[in-house]
Amino acid sequence: MTEMVRLSNVSYSIESHVLINGVSLRVDKGEFVALAGENGAGKSTLLKLIMGLIKPSDGDILIEGTSTRRQKVSTLARSVGYLFQNPDRQLFGATIRQELTFGLDFLGVSKDDGERRVNETLELLNLNPDRAPTSLSRGERQRVALASLFVRRPTLLLLDEPTTGLDYRECSQMMNQVAALNRESGVTVLMITHDMEVALDFSERMMVLSEGKLIADGATRSVMRDETSLRRASLVPAQMVALAQRLGLAPGEADDAESLADWIADNARGGADDARHS
Amino acid sequence: MIELRNVSFSYEGSADRALDDVCLSIAPGEFVGVIGPAGAGKTTLMHTLSGIVPHVRRGEFFGAANVAGLDTITSTVAEMSKTVGCVFQDVESQFVTTMVEDEILFALENFSIPRDEIPKRVDRALSDLDIADLRSRSLSSLSGGQKQKVALAAALALSPSVLAFDEATGELDPASSVQVFALLSQLRRERNTTIIVVEQKIMLLSAFADRLIVMDQGRVAIDGPVRQTLERPGRLLELGVNCPRVTTLAARLRDKGLYQGAPPINLDEAEVMARGILR
Ligand SMILES: Nc1ncnc2c1ncn2[C@@H]1O[C@H](COP(=O)(O)OP(=O)(O)OP(=O)(O)O)[C@@H](O)[C@H]1O
Ligand SMILES: Nc1ncnc2c1ncn2[C@@H]1O[C@H](COP(=O)(O)OP(=O)(O)OP(=O)(O)O)[C@@H](O)[C@H]1O
Ligand SMILES: [Mg+2]
Ligand SMILES: [Mg+2]
Repeated sequence: MTEMVRLSNVSYSIESHVLINGVSLRVDKGEFVALAGENGAGKSTLLKLIMGLIKPSDGDILIEGTSTRRQKVSTLARSVGYLFQNPDRQLFGATIRQELTFGLDFLGVSKDDGERRVNETLELLNLNPDRAPTSLSRGERQRVALASLFVRRPTLLLLDEPTTGLDYRECSQMMNQVAALNRESGVTVLMITHDMEVALDFSERMMVLSEGKLIADGATRSVMRDETSLRRASLVPAQMVALAQRLGLAPGEADDAESLADWIADNARGGADDARHS
Repeated sequence: MIELRNVSFSYEGSADRALDDVCLSIAPGEFVGVIGPAGAGKTTLMHTLSGIVPHVRRGEFFGAANVAGLDTITSTVAEMSKTVGCVFQDVESQFVTTMVEDEILFALENFSIPRDEIPKRVDRALSDLDIADLRSRSLSSLSGGQKQKVALAAALALSPSVLAFDEATGELDPASSVQVFALLSQLRRERNTTIIVVEQKIMLLSAFADRLIVMDQGRVAIDGPVRQTLERPGRLLELGVNCPRVTTLAARLRDKGLYQGAPPINLDEAEVMARGILR
């Protein structure tokens, strides 16, 4: 595994407020990582630090081996895509096509290549190029914002609550697209989410931030069983994980409705197994 | 408490009906959840209850809406807002001050709450949402979820007879979302507050609301008790609404011939269901 992001003992303060407190972590290329924690834990701040929008008060952040202190945000923006907590603030174009094309030449992308990328992305994300971003629903705007990041071919996507306010269908579409980018183009994803079902369905690994400190980091299904950390960070585990735990299953044995139903069937009173054991 | 009779509404300059012949009757003390796909008309419905539609967001309005004895057409938005406490999707556009405490104070002073009662109400609202430590912070320095908590605190401080939330917990952490819904349940129990919340988190609605309304294309597509509505997950999915995972589990167990009861609506009920099947 090659390293994409490394934080070494990073702290960040505003006046006397310590927002990030001695965080060390590493994310490898191609990983899909969820970042969770209570309101005000410092999640958005951590993403802004990684994006280089703000610089650590202490410690260092390396993106593919280079410190964010020694790179301009505009250079970082070539390889890192950042979806804001409220994407409306990052949509400027009059049409979706304009929105996607915007800034590509600035990145040194040729006109032909740019056009090709835009068309590919429009198709991939199923977007109508002629519509105005302002006339779209929140879910559609969110996908336009994702598309405008994707045309830049980032190697790292930083997503701040990408599914907030989306209905179930939009949420699935959005997340399946992010998952496809991760799987097919190997984009590394670091995603803030409050939705533990989304975290369980899409991320392999979960980090928990609380009061500016990293308090848990591991396989999503294991972290979701770490009751102490969850309580500290105001998290509630995904329903099937919580149920599996109550029923005494080992982590990862069954944590979605299908496999849990299978497990219950296998261990049902009067089931096949029962006959064998008696 | 809330009575909508054949309400239809088209926004100015649009031929489409954002609300299309909506009839709705909500009794005092009911806890109603509203869900449905983007563009279904959920926000328009909430704006109708507060009079914003058609007084601020203009357009063609048909039918009649009555909330707590006030006709929304003949009443002003200011009058309505004393009865209906609203929190909307975009909290930032709702703020009228720059400091956390001022935001809550402003609401209370504006609604002629007796002077001596105001400090108590502010304290209560801040502690209900666990944001007492943010009291003297500027709104612009808050995180997304913290802003949402301030807007919720301001609405709760007024203790209006109707609370109408439009996806007002979207940016809250999971425990805070549960806490807000528990607070709503408590208000309903203690003061018979009528509660109507638009929310995409079906798990919260099914655990706390007693009635579920599914909107689709400006219409009320489903309106019924939560449990009864969850018994038809296929119909919900057609409307772009998912079921809580515990309900999906129940459906799978039913398919296997292992469970015949009503779908569980929360974790405790799901555990009882599973233990009833397990040896
Ligand atoms: N200028 C400031 N002065 C003091 N505290 C600040 C300032 N700016 C931000 N903070 C605090 O820093 C903390 C971290 O904020 P951040 O936006 O990173 O939280 P978050 O984890 O993303 O929360 P949410 O889930 O609500 O989005 C919050 O408690 C916030 O109030
Ligand atoms: N100001 C407006 N002018 C014109 N049309 C509007 C306006 N606001 C909403 N609409 C349209 O009215 C319909 C209902 O919108 P509404 O905002 O009520 O839906 P919603 O169910 O709240 O959606 P969401 O889940 O995205 O919040 C949509 O087709 C929308 O495009
Ligand atoms: Mg945040
Ligand atoms: Mg809405």
